[in-house]
Amino acid sequence: MSSPILEGRTLVKSYDDGQVAALRGVDITIDAGEYVTITGASGSGKSTLLHMLGGLDVPTSGDVLFRGAKLGSEMDLDTFRSSQVGFIFQAFHLLPTLRAVENVQVAMLAIKGRANHRVERASALLEEMGLKDRMQHFPNELSAGERQRVAIARALANEPAILLADEPTGNLDSVNTGHIMDILRGIRETRGMTLVIVTHENDIALSAPRHIRIRDGRIEA
Amino acid sequence: MSSQLSFTGFAWKNLRRRRLRTLLTLCGITMGIGAFVALVGFSRSFEHEWLRLYQSSGTDIAVLQSSLFNSSIDESIGAKIKQLPEVAAVAPLVFNLIDLTPDVNALVYGWPADSYEMDSLNFTSGTRFHAGQPEIVLGDLLAQTLKKTTGDTLTILGETFTITGIFHGGTALETGAVIMPLDQMQIISSRQGKVTAFHVRLKPTPAGQTYEQYVSKVQKEIEALVPGIRAEAAAERASNNQIVDMAHSVAWGTSMIALLIGIVGIANTMAMSVFERTREIGVLRALGWKGRHVILLILTEAGVLGLVGGLLGIVVGLGALWILSIMPQTASVVSLSVSPDHLVESLLIAIGSGLLAGAYPAWRASRLSPVEALRYE
Repeated sequence: MSSPILEGRTLVKSYDDGQVAALRGVDITIDAGEYVTITGASGSGKSTLLHMLGGLDVPTSGDVLFRGAKLGSEMDLDTFRSSQVGFIFQAFHLLPTLRAVENVQVAMLAIKGRANHRVERASALLEEMGLKDRMQHFPNELSAGERQRVAIARALANEPAILLADEPTGNLDSVNTGHIMDILRGIRETRGMTLVIVTHENDIALSAPRHIRIRDGRIEA
Repeated sequence: MSSQLSFTGFAWKNLRRRRLRTLLTLCGITMGIGAFVALVGFSRSFEHEWLRLYQSSGTDIAVLQSSLFNSSIDESIGAKIKQLPEVAAVAPLVFNLIDLTPDVNALVYGWPADSYEMDSLNFTSGTRFHAGQPEIVLGDLLAQTLKKTTGDTLTILGETFTITGIFHGGTALETGAVIMPLDQMQIISSRQGKVTAFHVRLKPTPAGQTYEQYVSKVQKEIEALVPGIRAEAAAERASNNQIVDMAHSVAWGTSMIALLIGIVGIANTMAMSVFERTREIGVLRALGWKGRHVILLILTEAGVLGLVGGLLGIVVGLGALWILSIMPQTASVVSLSVSPDHLVESLLIAIGSGLLAGAYPAWRASRLSPVEALRYE
């Protein structure tokens, strides 16, 4: 039986002094190596939940635990993000001044003791993503699918335990969507990583062994 | 192609992104540092020239009243000073900064024809002047500027003087100067019987005393001998005299204003840059960059601006100093002798200014919430 890698306990997130509630007491447990998809309407709180689980944001009340350690108190959020989590965003968020191979290295700049292997590792990851001939290209010289593959390589740079993807295919056509999903599922299988994907697309949501629906800041039964 | 990404390389790429803005910011800090190098270099070279002037003539002590240009001492006091057992020679002098032509001004000295200070002049043509005669000798730089040679005449304050010789002085203060008999200088400046100062040369330092102790002892003796006057060691005099003080103050004041403008320029650039890159900073935070990594990145960018601006500023400053050292109006008081310390100091000030200017934008960037920064449009 797998052990929990991420837990959310009674997560509440509200804005404007409690006037707007994005999460209304969410309890969630994700096991190590699990593949989970989260769906919900716009504004339902699914991205907010993903941000909480990835340590990008902190809950108004409640706790997020990584392997039993409370984020923010027992484990530093920056350290958690740099060493345990890889993020993939809908808008790719590549840095425009850097080449593909440099964009992947940016994630490693925050980690000590990797200076000698940064280029080798970034190159190997891009090669794995099928971008061997695109390493020296800037983001504006790449197609949308290629950009997302660079972003996936960047997310894997520090060998995280968890991959969190927020609408990773939202800006892609159907061909690239299929390609990116194949890559993500392949990564999960070969590396044994935990994969959590927030998506609008039913096909993707239903392809996961576990599918969570969120509505008005609560998980639907 | 390896494309190894370093922190500094990343900062440099960010600066190159907005080339025009980076260039304009560099212009600001370059001008600030250029002004600092030129103006402070000018005032220090001025001080240095004074020191060399004293050293080349063998003067150990300068005796004067409270302020240099207003100093007016009875000429007869020289004889009293000469009677002190430690004193080898006393040279009275009158000097002033005088317009020789509408474009050229120069230091004009009145020295006794037999002053020991005349021995330090190296005549390239002609000979010394004679006491009581309307004669002058010119420094070679000034002679060149005025296109005068031995035998020509020069009108100073309405009086015509014959040039008896051209000399090469050891300092810019001498090579750009006019020297005439003391009595003639007293007449044209209406200071008969008065002098600006006395230069005193001491006998060799006795055994058992340091030079400083010896000079200090004689200073006290001179001041006790003639109440109301000041005796200063030559080295101290070079750095303490009012003209040098004034030059220092103006130089520092002006260059600090220029530097401040440069600092505001960098601060504005970095603040704009942080504002524009809010979402990118959010990405970096999402990738696990700590607040201090973001601070380091922004400060590196600001520091690089300071460093490059500083290097360019040094080139500009030295160029300006070189121009001052050959311009007729300033050649008599400026030489292109800038100490390496001054250049290092300028570079450190430039980098420090960059870091200071980048501090607030860096701190602000480090405080951005990752998720809010990522949402930023």
